[in-house]
Amino acid sequence: MSVIERIMDSKAAPRLAGTMVGLLKACAALVLAAGLAACTGSSGPATVVNQPTTNNATANGYTGPPPQNAAIQAFEVQFWSNIRGTDRCGGCHYAGGQSPMFARSDDVNAAYAAALPEVDVTNIAQSIFVTQVASGHNCWLADPGACALTMQQWIENWLGGEAAATTSIQLVPPPSQPVTSGKVFPAATDTANLDNFEQDLWTPILRNFCVDCHRPDSPTAQSPYFASSDPAQAYSAAQPYIDLNNPPGSRFVERLADELHHCWPTVAGGAPDCPGSAAAMLAAITAYANTIPITQIDPTLLLSQQVSLTQGTVASGGSRYDGAVIAKYMFETGQGDIAYDTSGVSPEADLTLSSSTNCSWVLGWGVGIGAGCKLQATTAGSVKLANLIQPTGEFSIEVWAAPANVAQTDAWIVSYSGSDTTRNATLGQNEQQYMGLTRSSNTDTDGMPPLLTSATGMFAQAALQHIVLTYDPVNGQRLYVNGTYTGDVDPSKGGTLANWDNTFALVMGSEVSGKEQWQGSIKFAAIHNAALTPAQIAQNFAAGVGQRYYLLFDVSALSGIPSSYIVVLASQYDNYSYLFTNPTFMVLNSTSAPAPFTIAGIRIGMNGAIVGQGQAWSTVSTTVGGSAYSPTTGQLLSSVGTVVESDKGAASDMFFLSFDQFGSKTHTYVDPTVPSSAPEVVGSTTQPDVGVKTYAQLNYAMSAITGVPMTDTVVSTLYNTQQQSMPSTAQIGAFQSSQQMAISQLASAYCSELVANASYRDAFFGTALDAQLTATAGSFFGSAANQSIVITPLVAKVVGTGVSPATASAIQTELPSLFATIPTLNSATTVATATQAACTAVLGSGALLFQ
Amino acid sequence: MATRTAGRSLGCVPVGCRRGALAFVLVLVALTVPAFAGPAEQAKRIYQRIAGTPPTADVLTSMINAINASPGETGLVNAAAIATQAPGFYNETLKTWVTPWTNRDGTVFAPLNDYTATVIGMVRDDVPFNTALSADILYTVNAPGLPAVSAANNDHYATAEANGVDLSTALVQTTQSGTYGLPSAATAGLITTRAAAYAYFINGTNRAMFRFTMINHLCNDLPTLMDTSRPTDRIRQDVARSPGADSRVYLNSCIGCHAGMDPMAQAFAYYNFDNNSQQLVYTAGSVQPKYLINSQNFPYGYVTPDDSWSNRWRGGTNTWIGWSASLPGSGSGAKSLGQEIAASDAFAQCQVTKVFQAVCYRTPLASDATTIANLKASFESGGYKLKSVFQQAVASCAGQ
Repeated sequence: MSVIERIMDSKAAPRLAGTMVGLLKACAALVLAAGLAACTGSSGPATVVNQPTTNNATANGYTGPPPQNAAIQAFEVQFWSNIRGTDRCGGCHYAGGQSPMFARSDDVNAAYAAALPEVDVTNIAQSIFVTQVASGHNCWLADPGACALTMQQWIENWLGGEAAATTSIQLVPPPSQPVTSGKVFPAATDTANLDNFEQDLWTPILRNFCVDCHRPDSPTAQSPYFASSDPAQAYSAAQPYIDLNNPPGSRFVERLADELHHCWPTVAGGAPDCPGSAAAMLAAITAYANTIPITQIDPTLLLSQQVSLTQGTVASGGSRYDGAVIAKYMFETGQGDIAYDTSGVSPEADLTLSSSTNCSWVLGWGVGIGAGCKLQATTAGSVKLANLIQPTGEFSIEVWAAPANVAQTDAWIVSYSGSDTTRNATLGQNEQQYMGLTRSSNTDTDGMPPLLTSATGMFAQAALQHIVLTYDPVNGQRLYVNGTYTGDVDPSKGGTLANWDNTFALVMGSEVSGKEQWQGSIKFAAIHNAALTPAQIAQNFAAGVGQRYYLLFDVSALSGIPSSYIVVLASQYDNYSYLFTNPTFMVLNSTSAPAPFTIAGIRIGMNGAIVGQGQAWSTVSTTVGGSAYSPTTGQLLSSVGTVVESDKGAASDMFFLSFDQFGSKTHTYVDPTVPSSAPEVVGSTTQPDVGVKTYAQLNYAMSAITGVPMTDTVVSTLYNTQQQSMPSTAQIGAFQSSQQMAISQLASAYCSELVANASYRDAFFGTALDAQLTATAGSFFGSAANQSIVITPLVAKVVGTGVSPATASAIQTELPSLFATIPTLNSATTVATATQAACTAVLGSGALLFQ
Repeated sequence: MATRTAGRSLGCVPVGCRRGALAFVLVLVALTVPAFAGPAEQAKRIYQRIAGTPPTADVLTSMINAINASPGETGLVNAAAIATQAPGFYNETLKTWVTPWTNRDGTVFAPLNDYTATVIGMVRDDVPFNTALSADILYTVNAPGLPAVSAANNDHYATAEANGVDLSTALVQTTQSGTYGLPSAATAGLITTRAAAYAYFINGTNRAMFRFTMINHLCNDLPTLMDTSRPTDRIRQDVARSPGADSRVYLNSCIGCHAGMDPMAQAFAYYNFDNNSQQLVYTAGSVQPKYLINSQNFPYGYVTPDDSWSNRWRGGTNTWIGWSASLPGSGSGAKSLGQEIAASDAFAQCQVTKVFQAVCYRTPLASDATTIANLKASFESGGYKLKSVFQQAVASCAGQ
């Protein structure tokens, strides 16, 4: 029995140690590279080996000659056993069948020899095995892409990760394509065009339905001002939201159709009609776009050649660690309702999308999960998870996911569970925390208590993130976000997984019941039956996700150097945009650095026009060549990446670069002069010319008038509790009747202290009241002369002398009436009380409040 | 004692009801009083709007005399100059005017602090207000019974307010570098006061300091400043480029603010408000970690290396701000950014508009455009003296 067979028969020790795996894989790669050079037998220690990744690994039923060496043994276990079945390659490429007979079951050594020529060890993705099934050749799944990925995984497992890691990218120049023409916005000085804009879009739509906010003179001004009363300003502001080459892709249309932003009724008296509004907007934009002819791009621009995304070189060099993967989803299918498990480990746990409307495919590989969407595998497909994880006692759930928001709670991203309350393992989001719920001997059957990342860490962001939940018996659960351990410790570590239930199902986006909904997008998911090490997680994070391309922008004509390019790493970032990173100047097929020259002001163009938003390289100004240039890696021009909106889609969009300076060639970029006006700062309606005293002014004024200091205990205590019940602003429009009550209370407090304190009282009223405070008000204030003791100083100090005679007169009329009424309400009312009442009535009145 | 008890009663006893009703009647009376126009009424109106309290008879007389001595605007301004000597102008009107600038909620219900006191002092002393965002300046309170000024708390100022200290006389000009130990080159006027740091450098990413400076000193919040046409090279890594998996939000909304804001907020890269020590921290030459958080939201975003800043809003749709042609539009640190902001037309326009609203109790109308323009021109040519703006503004709405 070979080492591997012995190992695979050992259920007690099913994991490969990294050193052994590396050696075996290295040997396999070396054999292929050297043309069957000897790598016979491993002399390494009989280390425990991890090859759990296939149920077919033991080549069941094979009775032919044993593999002659370890390389062939790896071929047998990792590749041949997977493809020799009659439902796969073995249906045709059997012994005596169609050549090459790499799937023959009579002699694994002969099959190995036949298979070798079909493998491209330097670029596995280009191996004939892969490209054939990718083209649909005898693909055993509905999706040839999934077959290709599965085939690629088998080959990588056979050759080992090191082979893939050493893959070098061979940049393939695209065909030479000058920048094509497109529709561009005419200058604002083109009056005929401006007339068309006004007639087709500005007057009927923008000034009609967007004018409440998107104009600078609106009380609720909101930039951009495309509904400005100045058509030239509106024209400039509207351009970023109009797609002349593809009107349905205009932001104006999307905003109405997709985001239901301020739609309007399309029939009189009707409710806002977003589809109708979007249709009207589209019709208006289309009409306007139709007035603009396709024009040649400005010939004075310094331009590269153009290239499309798919004309780029596939950037497949990123090496992942998938040595223990048992389920893997790359979501490359892009259509239908199946997301295939491309781990190559049987049985495939393919995921079924629950809804064609709530689930959506994301361009650039991925699936969007909205409310009501989940992706679920069958229990038959999921059974392998428990069966392969329980023996190891370890697992990892790895995803590249973008939460739709950071408000969702108890939202399951990936779950392997049986009901709302029973599970084997779950990775979830709880606002800005990620959580793990793994059922073990130390938890209940719901995986409680959970592992939660710290709230202060705010690890969950509404952005694409690499999230890994690992489990091993020592550390229990650990969570890694973007390659880094969060530092949170599992409260239930130290358990075993012996109580897992293999009848549960793998589900993404919710619980199996549909509860615990998570919303967002998943661009990659994998289940490993090992706890990935920090280094392996960092490696997988660094490998990135999704399909990426190297775009080669030919600048030979600008540089004067043949085969010189600006190489940009590009991908579809989401359904709406492209990501461009790592702009690098490079000369192909050259071993020397160019003489130094300047590159400045790089702008991305698309479909014949410079892109309006997302120009992150327009500020680049750097010297290229000389010692800063490497013949093998070129010279990076900017470490910053950028996102630009797609136009016609990845299949059609053609990109190019323009430059302000390229060597001695210059094209001075002039920032467009756009009409600019300050937002509204003037009121549009006549406003009251009077105001009220604020809380602080009232307090200050009452103190100044009465002579009672603001620090008086009675006053300050009341003021501190009531100040927020008084006016906070002088604007009379904000005055509320309830504020009058607080003002009256404060006035009462001041007047209380004024009357009670002899020094304050005498300074205000004189000494005439001192001996009468406890007398009845009815008798004392029956005299007009006595009334004036109180009324006269109140009027003088609150209203003033010689001013506001109407106010003074009103007080002088009302207070005697008050003095006359008080005894009728309570005949025992004292002079002190009546004086305080009169004081409060004036101090808390509009005479002081209004100004 | 019975009188005091009755005075504190909040209930509606018959007498209380009666006086409440009377107060209501007097409210109506006051509302029916026309905004008439004799010198006495004008003087009273000016004084109340400046000082917040009715004038004494003597003050009223001197103001009336000033108005009569120079009929027209000059007399009204001269009268207002008398009013601005009143303690109430500093203790209440200015304090209430400035306090909302010093906290995120924009509330007036906050204690006096060093930000507010510094503005009040600058107004009192006619310190050119275009240095408000860049100078090494601070005002403290010279009064008995106050805790010492501290970089770690606001007790000094809060106690001064609670004690009713007369700010018109008690404020003393000093420096932040001398008082707080902040390097003079790192001072930036109001931006580096403790109160501003407590409000806007605390937690977060320091973008709040930029945003609230725009709100408080350019009178515009970010929604009116958005411009998606600016280069995106200095948008930091923490800004998600595809929030909720929809990059259109980033391209059409997020960029509008961040493309301009991030390159300017970089000026604050060395500042932080430390929650433990409760004071502003300045780390010369060392970018605060808050500038580098959430770097994996977009790993290809900008990594802040220093406190250099660049004003990308000198082009695009925000040229209306009227940036100074004599300044380069870029620099390092908060001080030079403060100079950039305070040298703009919008800064002057904002200050005079705020003053107009404070004393005229309304948003300027189109018919006030000339008044505002004159106030602004006078403010800029007259040495950026806010006290003069108050005097001229209140004179413009003193009634006729």
